[in-house]
Amino acid sequence: MTESEHLFIGKRTIRKDAIPKVTGTMKFSSDYYIPGMLVGRIYKSPYAFADVRHIDTSEAERMGAVVITPDDVPSKLFNPRLVSVFEVTYKDYQVLTKHPRYLGDAIAAVAAPTEEKAQRALEALRVEFDNIRKPILDPFEAMSPNAPQIHDRILKGDERIDVKNNVGCVLEYSEGDVDKALKNADLVVERRFKTNRRYHMQLEPKTALCIPHSDGSITIYSTTQTIHNTRILIGQIFDIPLSKINVVKVPIGGSFGSSIQINPVVPITVALCLKARKPVKITLTREEDIYDHVAYQMHFKIRAGVTKDGRLVAGELENIMDIGAHQIQAYPLLGTALGWFVSLYKWRNIRYVGKAVYTNKVPTCAFRGYGAPQVSWAVETVIDEIAEKLGMDPVDFRLMNYVGKGDVFWGQGPTVKSIIRSDGVPELMERGKKLIGWHRRRLPSEKTGRYRRGIGVGRSFHTSGAGGPISGEVIDYTGSILKVNEDGTIDYITALQDHGGGTLDAHVKIIAEELGVPPDLINLVWSDTQTTLYDVCTHASRGTYVGGGAAVQAAKQLKEKIFNYAIRVLEKAVSPDALRLGYDKELKQAVVYVVDNPNMKITLKDLATLAWQRNWGTIATTVTYRSKAAPPSFTVYFVEVEVDTYTGKVRPVKVIGGADVGTVINPDFAAGQLHGGFAQGWGMTVLEDTPYLENGELMNRGFITDYKIVTAQDMPKLEDFQVIFAHTYEPTGPHGAKGLGEAALNSVAGAVANAIYNAIGVRFYELPITPEKVLEALKRREGGE
Amino acid sequence: MKIPIHFILNGEEVSVEVEPNELLLNLLREKLGLTGPKYVCGIGECGACTVLLDGEPVLSCLTLAVDVDGHEVTTIEGLAKDNELTAVQKAFIEEAAVQCGYCTPGFIIMIDKLLKENPNPTEEEIREYIRGNLCRCTGYVNIVKAALKAAEELRKNTSLIKIKK
Repeated sequence: MTESEHLFIGKRTIRKDAIPKVTGTMKFSSDYYIPGMLVGRIYKSPYAFADVRHIDTSEAERMGAVVITPDDVPSKLFNPRLVSVFEVTYKDYQVLTKHPRYLGDAIAAVAAPTEEKAQRALEALRVEFDNIRKPILDPFEAMSPNAPQIHDRILKGDERIDVKNNVGCVLEYSEGDVDKALKNADLVVERRFKTNRRYHMQLEPKTALCIPHSDGSITIYSTTQTIHNTRILIGQIFDIPLSKINVVKVPIGGSFGSSIQINPVVPITVALCLKARKPVKITLTREEDIYDHVAYQMHFKIRAGVTKDGRLVAGELENIMDIGAHQIQAYPLLGTALGWFVSLYKWRNIRYVGKAVYTNKVPTCAFRGYGAPQVSWAVETVIDEIAEKLGMDPVDFRLMNYVGKGDVFWGQGPTVKSIIRSDGVPELMERGKKLIGWHRRRLPSEKTGRYRRGIGVGRSFHTSGAGGPISGEVIDYTGSILKVNEDGTIDYITALQDHGGGTLDAHVKIIAEELGVPPDLINLVWSDTQTTLYDVCTHASRGTYVGGGAAVQAAKQLKEKIFNYAIRVLEKAVSPDALRLGYDKELKQAVVYVVDNPNMKITLKDLATLAWQRNWGTIATTVTYRSKAAPPSFTVYFVEVEVDTYTGKVRPVKVIGGADVGTVINPDFAAGQLHGGFAQGWGMTVLEDTPYLENGELMNRGFITDYKIVTAQDMPKLEDFQVIFAHTYEPTGPHGAKGLGEAALNSVAGAVANAIYNAIGVRFYELPITPEKVLEALKRREGGE
Repeated sequence: MKIPIHFILNGEEVSVEVEPNELLLNLLREKLGLTGPKYVCGIGECGACTVLLDGEPVLSCLTLAVDVDGHEVTTIEGLAKDNELTAVQKAFIEEAAVQCGYCTPGFIIMIDKLLKENPNPTEEEIREYIRGNLCRCTGYVNIVKAALKAAEELRKNTSLIKIKK
């Protein structure tokens, strides 16, 4: 179907939540204030590695505060993320711990009528520690035989496992004969990389509000990407029937993966609420939030072999992940990191070793791209080097060796594979080259003067969800409900969360397209776990592709029901197939009419009313859906940078962000993903990190004053930032669409790093590429020269 | 010790008792039901809590509630009048400058103020004016576009357009 054949898809529309958001009336979880509500505060470990000897709560309790310690809460181990199947879920978290493993592990919590009283009660807690140890901050040191154990025993599903050398989990894989292939290769490039420990810096700090009811049930409002998994986890930890827990879907002020897991603040708030029997809310301070979650930090070693005519013959990846104090999704990430690597290029012979290593640092979790920004940066650097050494154009070399249409794709790791059916890479490369002015690209050695410009390319992808034709280790399941109201409007009910990208507006457009009625008639219901079908989580860029897939099916079923009822009224029509749905502008109503006979019609309003008057049944449908594929959305960035060789500062001069998302449903919001993706990718490449002091404290001490993110002044000018979309159609996608959120970031760092190389002739193997590192490298090179 | 204060909030008189150390942001959110201004950093680094004090942007997380006694405070909730969005609000919607929406109130307050000071700002002037407001979703692209569009709309003297709330 061409764009012009769509009624609503690909057209600009106003998002459903726009007016509440621009008028400041949209309520996020931190915006709820309940009468009689207590405010909670969490006692976080002041030591990175210690044992709690004693907690004296008497003074805090004398002040009237409700206090919980590890003795008051279930001690069972859990994993706050429930996206993998049970058998491969590694559990090492507790609601509160007596054995803090990083500076920030929760030991106790208090609740009081005001924030000030809660803070005073918190300060009145007397906690004594034993066995205060020097924290282990380096994963290689952690793996050494003499290193103290951060965790002794953890659970994998129900199985107890002993942790050895602080390695939380391992994944190894090989295919073909790497050693032989490398031996026979004309060129072998071996490089080590280290990525940064980025903080999500989502604007809304993690929040939970728990309200108890007289029948023993509770209602939870929280910052989450998954209301259903929140309910399940709270049920499991506290042994509460799920029918007694309702988790309300509220908008989330950014997340970027940091609330795929149920944030620690949620069970702590629930525990306080269960003890106090009053509503309790905790909103983390920003400083606490920085100590709550960061991105996975990876140490890579890559070996790649290639023939002199540019054919890759082997790829080896060693991936040591510094996961911090707890496992969230380290094990599945070992698999996806391999998946990203394997699905980037045709290595032909593959070897992979992935290890997730505990350190006494802030726990790591998914951060937009789930390891793909890290892996892609390293691989795209190596690929660029190989192309240069072979004297080949970097674009041509990529096109020769990338995994594309017809190839096997396993972005989500070895258990989630499917065949690539749509691929816009050649088009994005071609158009991107023209728009950036690829022909202007000169060798680094030709650049002189203080300001040196360079052009680079970076290519990557992300999956659209985690589905596949066979059931793997990752759960990908959703459900949606559609019902026609008595006035002919339609309620759309889904548990799927919109993080701000306009995902649910895309669903509305898909439903509107399928039904032939305008999006205005479709109401996006803010719902909860009681009234929605299970959805695993809005993650893995699955919102539009998987949720949209469910929406298509629900709309098709609804339409069938509508026609089966309408045929009873529009008697002359030969069959339901002869009926159409549309919008009558005069009546301002959705109408069912007989094809080619627009006067033979009934409004959806009248039909809905007749349906219950005559006991035909409400016009409603429920659909559950598991995707059979997770097609890659390819992205290609062409970036021109300018390096100030006096200060080491790098500036983006021109950016072409290209994406292959199949059919573009929301053009504005799709472009917005690339804008935001570039900004985060730029921050990743040149700006962001959370280094540590020796005692396990963050150097920034939690303050964003020392965690800079990109501002409006750091971005290229409007005219120098262009977004392009490939003209592709994904046959498995809803109206041909694929995901985008994460792909929009994944290829940025590779492009920027390659542009920096093209400007000054220096490659960097450690992120971020700060001005200090640039100056140091220039100095070293000049010394060498 | 509670201190009584009186001030104009979004055009209406308010009398309320506050603690001497109470922040304007907390007063607005917790006692007066205005949750448009957001807590994001609490140290004046992000601009999400910005409100107007006698028409000038201030960070409500760094302003004591007692200091607004006798003054006029406007929050994001007070910008749209009579169910009509301002040109900046409308431009934010039309240019898709809103994603998660958490930073949006702070940006709209600032750009509204910018356009009162400078009806014809350049892109560079816009970026400079909002450099203290952080956004993690949009890369600021559509926010800058919205500011340019609102400026153009206002210059065409169609300051208020009707979108039903």
